[in-house]
Amino acid sequence: MDVSELKVTADLANIELGEEEFASLGREVEKMLDYFSKMMETDGMSLPSGPGRRAANRTRPDAVSGDADPDSLLENAPELEDRFIVIPNVL
Amino acid sequence: MESPFARWRVLSDAAARKKYEAYVKEADANIGAFLEFDAGRPEGRPGGCLEGVPFAVKDIIAVKGFHLTCGSKILQNLVSPYTATAVEKLAAEGGIVVGKTNMDEFGMGSSTDNSALGKTNNPWDGRRVSGGSSGGSAAAVAAGMVPFALGSDTGGSVRQPAAFCGVYGLKPTYGAVSRYGLVAYASSLDVVGVCACSVGIARDVFELMRGQDEKDQSSLDPGPDAPGPDAKVIGVLGGDLGLDPAVERAYRAAIGFYKSKGFELKEITLAMAEYYVPVYYTIATAEASANLARYTGIRYGYRPACAENPEELTRRARSEGFGDEVKLRILLGTYVLRSGFQDQYYQRAQRLRQAIRADFDNAFTRADVILTPVFPTQAFLRGQGGLDQFQQKLADRFTTAANLAGLPAFSFPAAVEDGLPVGMQFLAPAFGEARLFEVVRLYEENFPRPLPPRYKPEWS
Amino acid sequence: MYQSFIGLEIHIQLLTESKVFCGCTNRFGDEPNTNVCPVCMGYPGVLPALNAQAIRLSYVVARALNCEMSPQAVFERKNYFYPDMPKNYQISQFSSPLGRNGWIDVAYNGKTRRVRIHEIHLEEDAGKMIHAGDMSLLDYNRAGTPLLEIVTEPDMEFGEEAEILLQDFRRTIRYLGVCDGNMEEGSMRCDANVSVNLEGRGLGRKVEIKNLNSSRFVKMALNYEIGRQKEILDKGGKVVQETRLWNENRDVTETMRTKESAHDYRYFPEPDLPAFVPDAEFLAQVDRGLVELPAARRERFVKDYGVNEAAADFLINEKGTADFYEEVAALGADPGAAASWLQFDVRKILNRENRELAGSPLTAARLAQLLSLLSGGRIHGKIAKQVLEAVFAEDKDPGLIIREKGWEQMDDAAELAALVDRALAANAKAAAAVKAGDAKPLGFLVGQIMKATQGRAQPQMVQELLKEKLGI
Repeated sequence: MDVSELKVTADLANIELGEEEFASLGREVEKMLDYFSKMMETDGMSLPSGPGRRAANRTRPDAVSGDADPDSLLENAPELEDRFIVIPNVL
Repeated sequence: MESPFARWRVLSDAAARKKYEAYVKEADANIGAFLEFDAGRPEGRPGGCLEGVPFAVKDIIAVKGFHLTCGSKILQNLVSPYTATAVEKLAAEGGIVVGKTNMDEFGMGSSTDNSALGKTNNPWDGRRVSGGSSGGSAAAVAAGMVPFALGSDTGGSVRQPAAFCGVYGLKPTYGAVSRYGLVAYASSLDVVGVCACSVGIARDVFELMRGQDEKDQSSLDPGPDAPGPDAKVIGVLGGDLGLDPAVERAYRAAIGFYKSKGFELKEITLAMAEYYVPVYYTIATAEASANLARYTGIRYGYRPACAENPEELTRRARSEGFGDEVKLRILLGTYVLRSGFQDQYYQRAQRLRQAIRADFDNAFTRADVILTPVFPTQAFLRGQGGLDQFQQKLADRFTTAANLAGLPAFSFPAAVEDGLPVGMQFLAPAFGEARLFEVVRLYEENFPRPLPPRYKPEWS
Repeated sequence: MYQSFIGLEIHIQLLTESKVFCGCTNRFGDEPNTNVCPVCMGYPGVLPALNAQAIRLSYVVARALNCEMSPQAVFERKNYFYPDMPKNYQISQFSSPLGRNGWIDVAYNGKTRRVRIHEIHLEEDAGKMIHAGDMSLLDYNRAGTPLLEIVTEPDMEFGEEAEILLQDFRRTIRYLGVCDGNMEEGSMRCDANVSVNLEGRGLGRKVEIKNLNSSRFVKMALNYEIGRQKEILDKGGKVVQETRLWNENRDVTETMRTKESAHDYRYFPEPDLPAFVPDAEFLAQVDRGLVELPAARRERFVKDYGVNEAAADFLINEKGTADFYEEVAALGADPGAAASWLQFDVRKILNRENRELAGSPLTAARLAQLLSLLSGGRIHGKIAKQVLEAVFAEDKDPGLIIREKGWEQMDDAAELAALVDRALAANAKAAAAVKAGDAKPLGFLVGQIMKATQGRAQPQMVQELLKEKLGI
């Protein structure tokens, strides 16, 4: 994986990497991808597809549960303005 | 028959509680299993089968009023506003959560040293790791601080620390226990598991926790075709397994034990075994990259000192709040899902995962259970003489299979070699937990759990 | 000659009690961050749980739009970061949406065009971010509202067609009771895409248009955009493939400035939700939720009730009005009269009072009674209108109103004869003129009597009596 791909990947993941971190994590990512190449030995087309066995058609009734406590959620918010959660946004 | 919890009703009166608290305080000073401990929380429902019984919960499982750090700086200050279904079920039987245990950040690691919030020493040897990612839970049980502790197992995170600390570690069938309240690392692999001081306790706790949950639509009750408890044929692995000599000896000894008890031991070939680890890390990191996207410092959690806009805020929160191993896995998972790479990595891994499932379906036509080592080494040392992060990942080759195939697996202390416990595990077909408990109970009857020399409370 | 290609992406919020993946109230306009819970706030450890009604309503729409149902609807995660999206992925459907290959007919300019529906999928709405100076305010009440996305093929040519499609679609979803279709409040939203190319050359470079808050703006923006693109092509230029915003103050589309970070949504199947497999029983339940749709009803009204096209259009526009109308007709009222009263007299009062027919004092039974009093000659037209007003004002049955107010028609011959005598005496000049052969003042005399009785006198009888007394 070249440097520009790592950059794009970090951007998509919203992670900011310092120069040193960029190099060291880059090496680790590279090592893992190398290791993953083992999967390429297999004939992918002969393999089964799909996510496999799963429970199907699970739904819940359309009812308001009313057990939530919104105020306790707001207490965890780093910054509030009335009931709004605030984030900086200098345009 | 006496309840396995009878000796553990240490919170039922004030005097016992005081003694219990003092013991935990002293023991944990050397171990560091708990990130938060509070034995004074209101008692659960009286009359339940867990009345007065303390238990610990890995800090990746939500308990209202306790922190929910996941071993991460990014959630260091988060107090959970709700309780996981599995915990609620235990509390409904009178069980009392006394604390939250240390872990590798977001469940990513095999040592608990990837915690941003503290170290957990192995109760058998303080220089060694307790294993991971549920290291705090395994250590707390091993040191007699609780009879059982909940953990989570995504690729071996309950079984491996249980093996390192010499306790029992159950990874249930995928979906058997509700994941509601278990912070997601890799949703299709994660299960709530339990570290326990005996087979009976592991079994009872599992029986209390299990069951389809309206809040987890991937949870399931066993069907009518669920496997029965009897096992006659044990599948074992042949060839060079690349084990440390102590682990190899213990594996051969365990095989010998079951042979002596009249089981048929059959060597089986798991053709897909070499793909477990790459497939596991591809799928786990891909899912993790999405699961950990919610941590941005906006609604809760760590917020950086200054940022001018949402994007900068998010990037800084994540860069400063996540540790290296978490960042590595997020990057890797993001990469394997990217358009242009997804077919090659994620899609191929999904297909291989299907093949792995089919491989096990096939294996269980020939054997009732499969016996394998948990980890190629015993609890390793920190630093020099230990395993680096990459080596630790490669060593997940015995544990990840059960997660990929959604199967139940139960690790047990099989031997003590060179002063350290060695764990083995049984795998069973989906919803075959009863079979695992039966076969391991037989071992326990002959070889009770070894206790770490320094930690032997009277009730344990 | 150029050809234009228009497609729409329509989002509708489904009318459920609770959100799509959690038990929070699904309601617009509440205090910020009150309808929130750990699930829709994206807390660690929570899981989505699919709402049965949301998936059922989605299939109702898919059926109504003639879609093929996927053998299984698979939820997937669409990954991108945005502050109003709590998990920073949206649970949506991608490779296996619930419905595909449907269609909706659009009648415009005497032609009917069949617009194909590419797909329909269910997803979750995001919260809201409001800019305020150097900060933004976040409200997650909307996060997790069930949102159905309908994507059409680029099968339309004119902005007018898109407007008609939206109006018809809005009417349809209101009929089905799946969405209130309020574009101002955002319960229904629409993005449009358009490309222009030389005829026969296929699609051109696609421009997407956002910020379209009414179907009229959709039409205006598309027609503006078609003109803009033609002009570029005329000059030999190339249309830039981009997203543009409709500026409703200047009536133009403008380039939306975005950061140049490439999108890559990295879709993958949502491990927390099993696939939804619609079985026969479920589909039968969906079909029970289908109602006669507006187009079919319009046709039936013209055929069965003999109303004209304009009246039919009016009557079917709201399902409530159409249901009301059919109830009145079923009670024996003349369908033509009922249609006309609803279309004009009743509507006039409702508009004036700014209220809806549903919940107003005018029930179908009352309107039927009013029409029956009218057709039976107990009251006549002018009084009938007063009775209608009184029904709204006093919330009483028409029969009671005319009794209480004494508005019943006067048709007693002796009583009327006395009135005629009095009128002739008071207007001797006019009476003389009529007698002399001038018919004109006759009307005046009738008018005098009607005035004296506040319109209650039976007009024919008055006329007959006058003629008799005047000997003509």
